[in-house]
Amino acid sequence: MTKVFVTGLGAISSIGTNLEEQRHALQNGISGIGKAQHFESNYKETLLFGEVKLSDDDLSRLTDSSTEKEYTRTTLLALYAFNQAIENANLSSDQISLQSTAFISGSTVGGMCYTDELYADANMKGEASNFVQSYEGSDHLLRIVKRHQIKGFTDTINTACSSSANAFYLGARLIQSGKADRVIVGGADSLAKYTVNGFNSLMILSDEACQPFDLNRKGLTLGEGAAYAVLEAEHVCSDKYKYAELTGFGNANDAFHPSTTSDDARGPVLAMERALKKANLPATEIDYINAHGTGTQNNDFTETVALKKVFEKVPPFNSTKSYTGHTLAASGALEAVFSLLSMVNNELYPSLRCSTPIEEFNTPPIVTYQQAELKNVLSNSFGFGGNCTSLIFSKCF
Amino acid sequence: MFLKDAFAISPQKTFNSSFEEGDFVVHDSKTFKVIDADYAEFIPPSLLRRMGKAVKMGIGAALPLMKRNAKTDGIIIGTANGGLENCINFLNQIVDYNEGMLTPTHFVQSTPNALAGQLALMDDNPGYNVTHVNGSLSFENALVDAELFFSEQENPSSLLVGAVEEISDYNYNIDLQAGRYKKEQLSNQDLLNSSTDGSVCGEGASMFIVASSPENAYAEMCGVEQLTYPSAHDLSERIASLLAKNEISVEDVDALVLGKSGDGRYDGWYDHVTQQFPNAEFTYYKNFVGEYRTSSAFGMYLASELLRNKLVNHPELMGNISKQPKTVLLYNQFDGVRHGLIMLKRLV
Repeated sequence: MTKVFVTGLGAISSIGTNLEEQRHALQNGISGIGKAQHFESNYKETLLFGEVKLSDDDLSRLTDSSTEKEYTRTTLLALYAFNQAIENANLSSDQISLQSTAFISGSTVGGMCYTDELYADANMKGEASNFVQSYEGSDHLLRIVKRHQIKGFTDTINTACSSSANAFYLGARLIQSGKADRVIVGGADSLAKYTVNGFNSLMILSDEACQPFDLNRKGLTLGEGAAYAVLEAEHVCSDKYKYAELTGFGNANDAFHPSTTSDDARGPVLAMERALKKANLPATEIDYINAHGTGTQNNDFTETVALKKVFEKVPPFNSTKSYTGHTLAASGALEAVFSLLSMVNNELYPSLRCSTPIEEFNTPPIVTYQQAELKNVLSNSFGFGGNCTSLIFSKCF
Repeated sequence: MFLKDAFAISPQKTFNSSFEEGDFVVHDSKTFKVIDADYAEFIPPSLLRRMGKAVKMGIGAALPLMKRNAKTDGIIIGTANGGLENCINFLNQIVDYNEGMLTPTHFVQSTPNALAGQLALMDDNPGYNVTHVNGSLSFENALVDAELFFSEQENPSSLLVGAVEEISDYNYNIDLQAGRYKKEQLSNQDLLNSSTDGSVCGEGASMFIVASSPENAYAEMCGVEQLTYPSAHDLSERIASLLAKNEISVEDVDALVLGKSGDGRYDGWYDHVTQQFPNAEFTYYKNFVGEYRTSSAFGMYLASELLRNKLVNHPELMGNISKQPKTVLLYNQFDGVRHGLIMLKRLV
């Protein structure tokens, strides 16, 4: 079966606008969570966010999009990270426009990130806004397709917080089946009143920076960002730098509840087991786990149950959401990028703000920076609707 | 990949046998809304009360299939927008109550993957589960995903695959302002004779049981293709390559099912395709259901019913399908931007 390699990465989050900045923050335990500077909401004063430190105007300028009045923040974040990834993989514009190059992106809030404009347009209050053609979930993807003249397969996935992990999953399968040689995969979500009020109504937002895997965790912190990876088939990247091989991927539905995970962790266990089976690896070969670790009581409990079931001895793990907040559809891709930074640099980043580990789970997350040889890493993403996905990356040098 | 069963909740009476017996519901309001089944027959009232329309329709179309077929190995749904009504109800509350304390029901029901999640829950199905939201290619993407899934399985397997889109006042307003709907009011009987700008807003859920083996199946889905921002030449080339891949000649295609919508700006695309198949009979389907982003799933429902020799004599089939077809090509486009092709072959 054709091997799938990661040959390029691009990411933007509250801890940086390029790979170096984000690695520096992770190495030094510098969180990006704080008071929002750009996002407008009544919760600005009471809640903390993992906000990207650039305004819409900054992002427009940096992506040369100042004349594109229909671009939303989701599109701008996506385009920024997309450009970084294709440059990192040295893809030419001809290669991007090949029929054999595909593009798959995940987003939840998508084009509906400007709540007030959407309110006015949906209720026909006054003239149509600039964004009246931009509200579709796939809007960011379609605009990048046009901008970069992508001719191959395109797809947008929304499986809530596992969306971009499923983009990796589908991209790998397109390559393995021979339907594509190159696939740019990832996801984007921007902060929006819509999601802030939604998670707030579920009472799962923390009033402090999130504390994944801490006994006294109070909920999640919302963040924003975008991350993309270039996946390439073995035969089109033989002479290129490869971050890793994408060896395993598993998808399962928890089939328990629309917005919480089950106590027996059926979905998360199956997702990890299916990924291990696909990678043809025993659980003992996983050297590091980038946990979903949202910081809610429910998720972190379920995830620890799942880890105990799948791993006799739980490998070192962390939640990088303690740096970026929960970036929703972007989180799977962003955390894949962080997992790969860990692996290629043989280093483990501390999980932040876990001062009292969960008692019945006698394995605390990584709390200090460490160096370690990492051959196989696993990244988890679980979402509303029971959607669970796990990815495994393996060292190829 | 093989078709074993199909069901639709649509603006026609597809929830029972009326539609296949020739019934035609005339719609003459500004939207063509679905004729609902009696959902209370199979959805517990406590669940039903909380469900948004998209989830309700999707379950209404999927449950009959789940009941009369073996449990599937997964669920793949395509929807451009999911539960928009709940979504904008929640949004209205955010603005009207100035981000006050809100109830989460609308939020949870609004996520596009709520249907696939709810179906997994009701079916106790921990299998593969994905929701594609790629605009008017969402359903085509769900089919590609299913094809890949089957190519990866060691054992015979099956999937529930489908698509749903709902009308809400809000998405109607947004798409109206974006120029997608006609200014004049038209009945669905006249829709396809119109050539003014825009179409009429419809909705619906179409679901299928697809399987890796032809056992008990009536049709094969032998190809699905997508194009974004193509030229007419690109589209012709893609049709040619789809035929070549399946070793099907132009003459073998005996029926076209086309997404013509009465939008004078883009209907030329359908004529372009029809011209390439001078011997094929053809029919349209948006006179039944109106225009919406995953309407091609209803197109596939119609093709599927034609292939299993239902509907052939339906009086409102536009064009002229006079006999049970052997090979059907479906073509749909939206905004002239996203184009999808689906090829089906009869098995028996």
